[in-house]
Amino acid sequence: MITPNLSWILLLPLLGLGIVCLIPADKTALIRRVSNIAVLVPFLLSIWVYAAYDQVAGGFQFVQYIPWVVPFGISYHLGVDGINSLLLLLLGAASFSAVLISASIKERIKEYYVLLLITVIGTYGAFLSLDIFFFYFFHEVAAVPVFLMIAIWGSERREFAAMKLTLYLVAGAAIALIGLIGLYLATGAQTFDLVQIQQQLALHPLPINVQNWVFPLIVLGFGITLTLWPFYTWAPVGYAEAPTAISMLHAGVLKKMGAYAIIRFAIQLMPQAAHAWMPIVAGLAIVNIVYCGLVALTQRDLKYLLSYSSCSHMGYILLGLACFNVIGINGVVYLMFAHGIMAALAFALTGYVEDQTKTRNLDELGGLLKCMPFIGTCFMMAAFASAGVPGFANFVAEILVLLGAWHQYLWLTVFAVFGLVITAIYMLKAIRLGFQGPLNPRFAKLVDAQSMNEKLPFLILLVLLILVGCLPSVILTHIGSSTQAIAQGIR
Amino acid sequence: MFPIINWSLVSLETLVGLTLVFLVVVDIVLPKKVERDWIGIFSFIALVGLSIFWLTQGSLSGTTFNGMFVMDSLAWFFKGLFLITMIFVFAMTQEFFKSLGERRNEFYLLLWLALMGMCLVASSADFLLLFISIEILTISLYVMTAYLKSDKLSIEAGMKYLILGALSSGFFLYGISFLYGATHSTHFDMIQNFVGTHAMEPLTIFALVLIFAAVGFKIAAVPFHMWVPDVYQGAPTPVTALLSVGSKAAGFVMLIRLFLGVFSAWHMQWGMALAILSAVTMTFGNLVAMYQTNIKRLLGYSSISHAGYLLMGAAAGTALGASGINFYLLGYLFTNLAAFLVIIVFSIATNSDEIADYAGLSKRSNLLALTLLLALVSLAGMPPLAGFFGKFTLLMSVIKSGYIWLALIAGVNIVISMYYYMMVAKKIYVDPPHSTSPISVPLSIRLLLTVAILGIVVIGIFQGPFLDAAISAVQGMYLSHL
Repeated sequence: MITPNLSWILLLPLLGLGIVCLIPADKTALIRRVSNIAVLVPFLLSIWVYAAYDQVAGGFQFVQYIPWVVPFGISYHLGVDGINSLLLLLLGAASFSAVLISASIKERIKEYYVLLLITVIGTYGAFLSLDIFFFYFFHEVAAVPVFLMIAIWGSERREFAAMKLTLYLVAGAAIALIGLIGLYLATGAQTFDLVQIQQQLALHPLPINVQNWVFPLIVLGFGITLTLWPFYTWAPVGYAEAPTAISMLHAGVLKKMGAYAIIRFAIQLMPQAAHAWMPIVAGLAIVNIVYCGLVALTQRDLKYLLSYSSCSHMGYILLGLACFNVIGINGVVYLMFAHGIMAALAFALTGYVEDQTKTRNLDELGGLLKCMPFIGTCFMMAAFASAGVPGFANFVAEILVLLGAWHQYLWLTVFAVFGLVITAIYMLKAIRLGFQGPLNPRFAKLVDAQSMNEKLPFLILLVLLILVGCLPSVILTHIGSSTQAIAQGIR
Repeated sequence: MFPIINWSLVSLETLVGLTLVFLVVVDIVLPKKVERDWIGIFSFIALVGLSIFWLTQGSLSGTTFNGMFVMDSLAWFFKGLFLITMIFVFAMTQEFFKSLGERRNEFYLLLWLALMGMCLVASSADFLLLFISIEILTISLYVMTAYLKSDKLSIEAGMKYLILGALSSGFFLYGISFLYGATHSTHFDMIQNFVGTHAMEPLTIFALVLIFAAVGFKIAAVPFHMWVPDVYQGAPTPVTALLSVGSKAAGFVMLIRLFLGVFSAWHMQWGMALAILSAVTMTFGNLVAMYQTNIKRLLGYSSISHAGYLLMGAAAGTALGASGINFYLLGYLFTNLAAFLVIIVFSIATNSDEIADYAGLSKRSNLLALTLLLALVSLAGMPPLAGFFGKFTLLMSVIKSGYIWLALIAGVNIVISMYYYMMVAKKIYVDPPHSTSPISVPLSIRLLLTVAILGIVVIGIFQGPFLDAAISAVQGMYLSHL
């Protein structure tokens, strides 16, 4: 049987990037076509990887290993288990939609696609790497392209937003890097290879005093990426001012790298410190859920509302990370996927609405369902998903997290449930103000997404959202063996 | 009795010296009317030839001239850095001084002299030779800094550099004499023996501080950085490039040889002092760089902050730290030279070094904008570019030596520096241009820009071979106790 070669997921879009760089800037149609293919191919490969992954055998599969920097024990080591193959699928779907949606970009097209492709490739690299150095390496590749994309194609306060987002993320990355180097030095195994470090630490856990300074650095550093309260303030302004594709990718996928890193490098490798520190994180997570939710309630700008909502939902991921049981971790992985798809969809739709109406202010919008029924319906679905209505992926994920957290943090969980109510309130408010009620006469002539080409990016995400929501067992069995292994290690 | 000299060890310096003498003699002998523009091209070809010759010298090691001169892996590595720098600087000079006509040719002689000095610094194994070679380097730099006779800023820069440089030379000699008083020698190996067998006492502390002042002046570490902004701004840009890369590297080879070689047994005593200086230097450089409006001044302060990062490797006091310094300098070389190439082409086209005038550069020249962006991102230490792995190695070295606080301060500094580098990146890619006239880039510069970009990217992605080179440079070091 032919097994997928993970390097192609990196190299083929890289080839696409190279071709885009060589095309003259005025041949925009060709640039768009090549870019579409350059993200479609890894998306299809990700589906293949997901399908071909042997969930019974578990562990890391399709592994590729090339020593890279021998003196430091850095290696080009790719491989997937249940968790990152699911995240690859998320990235594939979100990035493909994001590139399709970019058809609305009209200026500096070549630069736009080059930067977008670099961002996507970097994120693929991060999810594929089983080497801590290369995870970090790829995860930082996206920083500068994202800065430029927000600063060039963003909306009104774009320059401020770009700088704030970048500085926060770089600060988080720098803190995490110090933690990761500390981890590397403390293991004494002279390797950045995740698999070897896991084996080493299974035999000789790190001394508790080392864990106690390395762990918080890693969690704080990647927590900033994951909009941990009170370090979330970069996200609302950053997502709101960014061009649609970046809002989709960043809120949907890029920030999930933080959660992924916390699971893989912090909790799994340093369980003792995790037990000491994660309850604090759980407390902050509740602040995330409730506080950011309440702030979202007050927003009149649709994109800000979604951004605060995104920060609020990261609280569930953080809460699930603090559970130390398999249900909680399942919930976290599930929620990373579900929230990623939902956020990408919601931002894509908002972008469409903004392109048409030139405003995101809920007070000016209204009755859009009348003139754009398809977009409006999709948005309602995304909003329901976000509010945790059964039938959508988010419901399953949030229930799992809450179940996982129940025995550990009874009172916190009560507040977390309250967060779902807040979500429902602001999402319903958004629907009522934006899509129902009388139609603003200014918008009477607006057109809905007509052709399949226009609808495709939304449909891909919507179908995934419902499919995964109705058939949770597909994903749960897929990630089961991997999350089980983590849960056993940290109990 | 005349000592036996192993000429193969000094062959590179001999060739540099012969070229220099040849050019000086020709310049004097040739009648005034005869065209001399070939000197630049001849120099460039000679440098490329020397670089190829340098490649064959990798395995040499040993001392000669009674142990005053040493050729080891460290010297070899740094001579490579100096040669690459010089290739760039010669090409920059060719472009930059087009308007100067004849006087340009004397400038090449000074460059050759500076190269001679730098190579000798890398190979000194005796304080007297070290002092002389530093002076050869610095005196030629004084003259080059003040070379634009009609430019007030250039004269002022030359004057400042001269006064502060003379002061630092004075400190250095004073330090050497104290050290001689304590150890009765100027030879590195004798002094190292002394350091290994004696504890630090007030006399030697005093000597070490004075010697570090001289090194700090060369690498532009706080508090010996005062000359940097004005000299960087006022000097002709090729000289600024040479100061920021070549002269700084010369300072660091001294630092490695002295503090990680000769004085390494006292690391316990001076390690913390260097760590504090490193933290102060990087923080000061970055904080002040935020407020700069002139690109050369900005890079000046940024070069101070990079001296701070590099000092981390010295503070660590380990082989890893020294390898980190070597690797970092290699990446820094391509990065900074790329930036200065862009600055030169831009200033020839627009007659300005103001950051405000860089607005919309991407619409005026794609290549220049891209190069400057990559250089800035690499300086900020973002993957996949060369600057990242250098910072990574240095951070690793300080954490390994237990200075976690220093690593955290470096982390804060990376964020601060990201701010001002990205402000410039925003200028060139986001802001609308003041003028839309395209800037043309001459072919020779285009080639060099490509080489520099390749350097930045290749070192950043395929770190292995370069790290190996940086490590083996330290492993084969003369008098190494690491």
